[in-house]
Amino acid sequence: MTKIFCIIPAYNEEKNIYQTVKKAQKYLENIVVVNDGSKDQTAIKAKEAGAKVLTHPINRGQGAALQTGNDYALKRQADIVVHFDGDGQFLGSEIFDLINPIQEEGYEAVFGSRFLEKKSAIPKFKTYIIYPLARTINRIFLNVKTTDPQNGFRALSKTALQKIRIDNDGMAHCSEILYKTKKAGLKFKEVPVTVIYNHFGQKLSSGIKILKDLFVNKLNQ
Amino acid sequence: MWQQIIALIVILFFLTRLFSQKNKKNISQAEFALWLVFWALAAVAIIFLKQIDAFLYELGFSGGGINFLLYLAVMILFFLIFRLRLKYQQLNQKLTEVVRKITLETANKEDRQK
Repeated sequence: MTKIFCIIPAYNEEKNIYQTVKKAQKYLENIVVVNDGSKDQTAIKAKEAGAKVLTHPINRGQGAALQTGNDYALKRQADIVVHFDGDGQFLGSEIFDLINPIQEEGYEAVFGSRFLEKKSAIPKFKTYIIYPLARTINRIFLNVKTTDPQNGFRALSKTALQKIRIDNDGMAHCSEILYKTKKAGLKFKEVPVTVIYNHFGQKLSSGIKILKDLFVNKLNQ
Repeated sequence: MWQQIIALIVILFFLTRLFSQKNKKNISQAEFALWLVFWALAAVAIIFLKQIDAFLYELGFSGGGINFLLYLAVMILFFLIFRLRLKYQQLNQKLTEVVRKITLETANKEDRQK
């Protein structure tokens, strides 16, 4: 039987984490919340919801939390890992849209995209300024052509997990995972997903930080 | 002349700070040596400013020696900031690895106790 883990990174998400875990639990058994040094009740709420909680003693960023979750899942013989945001912006019902291509079509990595058939109410500034910029940067500097440059909803096979190690602790992990997937020659595709915007999310300043992180990390390698 | 004296006083001040840090064992021998050479070269450059002027003129540069030293200082500063950023990033990654190790070990213990 295929062992599937859902990794949910969470930082100060006490308001959303219970519902987020419940959403994912409807479809998957192994839910792992990586509590990334939260200062609120995130860990307690996640446990109450029935998730396995891993706690970073200090905040290290979403990329770092995801890698901790990946390591945990790999050690427990995971066949597939699903990354799911802790702020409740993804739909649990779409989890299998990401898993099915791995199980049935031989893909190693499946990425959610807000820019395919399904429509999300994306803020205009992001649609027309931030994402086109991010897409262009991914294409020019990372040679990655995807419709959605920054989507945290993805599924990775065991092979992909073994080949992709997330070095960017912060939000630059999205571009990094896409880049490493391509570099490792893994078979990947995008599938349409819906994103519910409870808040604006990443701003232009976050985008600049992502760029800086990618650049400095590249120099360090 | 006065500018040179002021510059030398500033260098002297930094040298006293350097020796003080060394006495408190806050910096390594290598780091101490690097900064000692750096400030010594800066002092030599200030003392022989006229000779540097003449040398630069020979090379075809129209600017004065002090301008050249300023450009050099800015370049060195940029390089040092760049190195610091890389070091900072490396330290951050090491910190993350430590945090991850602690987290996973705790989780493994919890799982074994179940």
